[in-house]
Amino acid sequence: MSPGELDPVIHTPARLRIVVTLAALRDGDDLSFTGLQELTELTPGNLITHLRKLEEAGYVATQKNGSGVTARTSVALTDSGRKALENYTTVLRRLLDSASPN
Amino acid sequence: MNDGTGADQDMNMNAAAAAAIIAEADARARPVLRPDHRVTFLVWGAIWFLGDGLMWLAVRGQHPYHGPNPGGYAALVLLTVLVALASIAQSRAESGVRGLSVVRRWAFSLSALAGLGGAFLVEGALVHAGASRPVVGVFEAVAPLLVIGLLYLARFSAELDWAVAGLGLWLVLVAAVGAYAGPQNVWAVATLAVGPAFVLVAALEHRRQRA
Repeated sequence: MSPGELDPVIHTPARLRIVVTLAALRDGDDLSFTGLQELTELTPGNLITHLRKLEEAGYVATQKNGSGVTARTSVALTDSGRKALENYTTVLRRLLDSASPN
Repeated sequence: MNDGTGADQDMNMNAAAAAAIIAEADARARPVLRPDHRVTFLVWGAIWFLGDGLMWLAVRGQHPYHGPNPGGYAALVLLTVLVALASIAQSRAESGVRGLSVVRRWAFSLSALAGLGGAFLVEGALVHAGASRPVVGVFEAVAPLLVIGLLYLARFSAELDWAVAGLGLWLVLVAAVGAYAGPQNVWAVATLAVGPAFVLVAALEHRRQRA
């Protein structure tokens, strides 16, 4: 990916929504899988698929606590995920500025 | 609910669509995941103003001073219940969030509870030791200010938030100066000095967020 390009890992509606949602968390906080699902309005299967892609890129970290019915999966944005979103919005702003008539 | 057909669908969304998604997702997530401190300070300002004001109305003009009537205490209990309900509603709204900010909020609430509980016990000890009703009256007005003021100063030492430091220092100052006003007027001092201070901190927070 060249510096002027939109990060293809983030550049899909679902993953962009996930990353922006997680970026709203305060430092040191994480969000439950169901909480993230409610905020992004993605189906569980779809959310898992996108989270896996983001996790492979090192942008999110998931953690499973407990077992059985009390198990809780929590998700948080990593430092490199936060940096990737910052780069993404910078490139996006540049693209929007160059496309505007002024 | 978005039931996408593939993980990489819509790779070709344009920049404007991406910007719209960012704005929409952020507007949806932020109020849930980051409680607005401006609202918190405003609510607390209203609670202090009402609580202190009600106590002032309950004791003003008493000669000799005999303390708030049961109605004054009942109003205070009602306010406390409202605060508890507001806290529960806030924690439910943020369900799903876990981590440092949640631990901090619980630590602050439990510390306040411990401090106020301790002050209540000390008040009992003062009565037991034979302190006069006016002395006990002054103590019950200033003790909550000292407890919460010191908690805000402790929070400042952890977060280096200067607005919170100012608020903590102000509460301690109001407690110290107000104590000299006597068991009746101390409530008037607190009514006029504490609630508006919280509103000022809410305004500072508002300015900081817009900067």
